[in-house]
Amino acid sequence: MNVHTSTVTTSLSYGIVSVQEPELEQPPAVVNREAVLLSRLRQGDEGAFNELVTHHHGALVRTAMGYVADRDVAEEVVQDTWMAVIEGLDRFEGRSSLRTWIFGIMIHKAKDRGVREKRHVNFSSFESVDEEGEEAVDPSRFHQSGEWAGHWAFPPQRWDDQTPEKLLASQQAVNAMNHAIEALPKNLKEVLILRDVEGIEAKEVCGILKITETNLYVRLHRARERVRQTVETYLEG
Amino acid sequence: MAQEEGQRIDPEITCHEVVQWASAYLDDHVGDERKRQIALHLAICAGCETYMKQIAMVRDLMGMLPRERDVSPDLQRLQRAFGERSRRP
Repeated sequence: MNVHTSTVTTSLSYGIVSVQEPELEQPPAVVNREAVLLSRLRQGDEGAFNELVTHHHGALVRTAMGYVADRDVAEEVVQDTWMAVIEGLDRFEGRSSLRTWIFGIMIHKAKDRGVREKRHVNFSSFESVDEEGEEAVDPSRFHQSGEWAGHWAFPPQRWDDQTPEKLLASQQAVNAMNHAIEALPKNLKEVLILRDVEGIEAKEVCGILKITETNLYVRLHRARERVRQTVETYLEG
Repeated sequence: MAQEEGQRIDPEITCHEVVQWASAYLDDHVGDERKRQIALHLAICAGCETYMKQIAMVRDLMGMLPRERDVSPDLQRLQRAFGERSRRP
């Protein structure tokens, strides 16, 4: 695999628009498509509404699961979110993309629900991550002093012959990865789900979560590293 | 870790640092100078090259994980609510 490959891009029909970041220069087609969709929604076009719901529902439920840890509750949260979207359509100012707005509503509702439903609060919800303190990678894998300080003492072993497809063919590996994601603290889980699982662009993820890009990458890397360790253990275990 | 601005970047970079920049680097969210520095390091460091490939693979895997099952909204209820909204004066 080429390490310089750019991020997997998605071809979501509602595109990736962040009006708060005008320097992004979204392709006019994307902006127009969103404007057309919004205008159809406001006119009460049921087809447009079905399209919107069908397109985002799964991603919303999966993301909500990161906050409430119970599938039925997650589905209720998203159902409530859609009701709020219907109510709020006329107030939506288009300062962010529709998706950013919808995900923002869902996260607000999911967090609120997570707090109220104490019985659903699981172990990972209690764990918070110190943004600056914790190392992503175990520091003991590097030389601590001497000429080679900061360089690998125990470098990772190549995953020879491993392709994503091969790993995904193993139910055990898939379970291990799912478990690793599930066990992430919430602030790592939310960035991993939005950015890598759902493939939402970094700037939009920052808009949804109201965090800086620096913060996003600190969290995202910690999350990816934890999954990497899981795969490493699985392969070498 | 996104762009650093106005900071002088030391030409030497340790494996420990490369590892911390890995995700930002893969997503092309590091400054040009930092990017060159990391690319140079990767060209001569097998450990970091392996690490970077593994993080890239994890990133790609996350989008490919099988979905548990399709989730369907209560579309009828939503359509009813949407229709009522449209009929409001």
